[in-house]
Amino acid sequence: MPTAPSSKICRHRAMLPEASAAVPARVGLSQLLATFVRLGTMTFGGGVQSWIHREVVQRLGWINDKSFLSGMTVAQILPGANPVNMALYVGLHLRGGVGAAVAVFGMLIPAFCTTLLLGALYRSYGHLAAVHFVLAGMAAAGVGATLTMGIKVARRLPRNLVTALIAVTVFVLVGVLRWPMIPVVVVMVPLSIALAFVAERKSEAVS
Amino acid sequence: MNVTTRLLALMTVFAPISLLSFGGGQSTIPEMQRQAVAVHGWLTDAQFADVYAISRAAPGPSTLIVALIGWQVSGFFGALVATLAIFVPSSILMYAASAWWQRNEGSALRKAIEQGLAPVAVGLVFAGAVIVLDAAHAGVLALVTTAAVVILQSATNISTYATVGVVAGSYLILFAVSRYLT
Repeated sequence: MPTAPSSKICRHRAMLPEASAAVPARVGLSQLLATFVRLGTMTFGGGVQSWIHREVVQRLGWINDKSFLSGMTVAQILPGANPVNMALYVGLHLRGGVGAAVAVFGMLIPAFCTTLLLGALYRSYGHLAAVHFVLAGMAAAGVGATLTMGIKVARRLPRNLVTALIAVTVFVLVGVLRWPMIPVVVVMVPLSIALAFVAERKSEAVS
Repeated sequence: MNVTTRLLALMTVFAPISLLSFGGGQSTIPEMQRQAVAVHGWLTDAQFADVYAISRAAPGPSTLIVALIGWQVSGFFGALVATLAIFVPSSILMYAASAWWQRNEGSALRKAIEQGLAPVAVGLVFAGAVIVLDAAHAGVLALVTTAAVVILQSATNISTYATVGVVAGSYLILFAVSRYLT
């Protein structure tokens, strides 16, 4: 979902003294990998986008603010996890396809290993009543976090009947009636985009 | 079922979900639950709720729940194949589309795509919440926890990891106290 760019966290790299020198040198793949492995580890604290921004735009000056924000919009709109898409975008910008692959790999590897480690602990201790009880609480908390995000996005939706109907229809079909997501999304996404396109044209014709 | 068949099954389940995961990882939870529990029987509802909890507590995108499902199906290679299946297709799409996206800044079609995807993602996110609560057989305590987290996170800037950590700690104490009393 597109979020309003926060000007507070975004300083143009030209403002940084070390980045004002001519064209920056080509970023090495190993440096790219190391940076994204570090960012992948930091995602533990949440707020991934601002961490990436701090590293890649402010500290390293690899990419300017405008490109970064534009990438953030694409990363949020297109399918895929935002931090992964963002890593891909930065890697692509710096070193093309290989850079994209390296950045994504770096971003995912710490999380992948930690998740597998937690999974192994679960297989060893999952039978304990206490573990199951605590996990139930964590699942409930996870759902709460998801709902909070959903509510935030829902409040930013344009307030009209069509938008509300699409959101409610998708919810009822998938969440209540338990229809498979794929056919629902394949039908609803083009429909929703077409309706938004028509509405956009109409409002342009008026203004 | 031999290993190859199981790995192929993981791929064919997660690759299409990857291409349709609009709105990030949370919108894919309904389909993951349906496929892993109802269609393939890889996990029980209770196990799904457990791995969901783990994926929310682990760092990185919560889409990595697929690594846990994959492990259940076919060990390390199951985890690897499921992870590749969920991240590679969407990454290829991102790779292909980001140039088009930047060229067409301000175009009516791009605006329509941005606006049209949002309500679908919202519907899926709320569906995912209902499905996880249902899979976990959420009782009063779970519903109260969920509501409390929504209120806490709406009112403060506390991160999801901190919230999940606080809830885990509280539940552990609650468990110990209830054992002590009975």
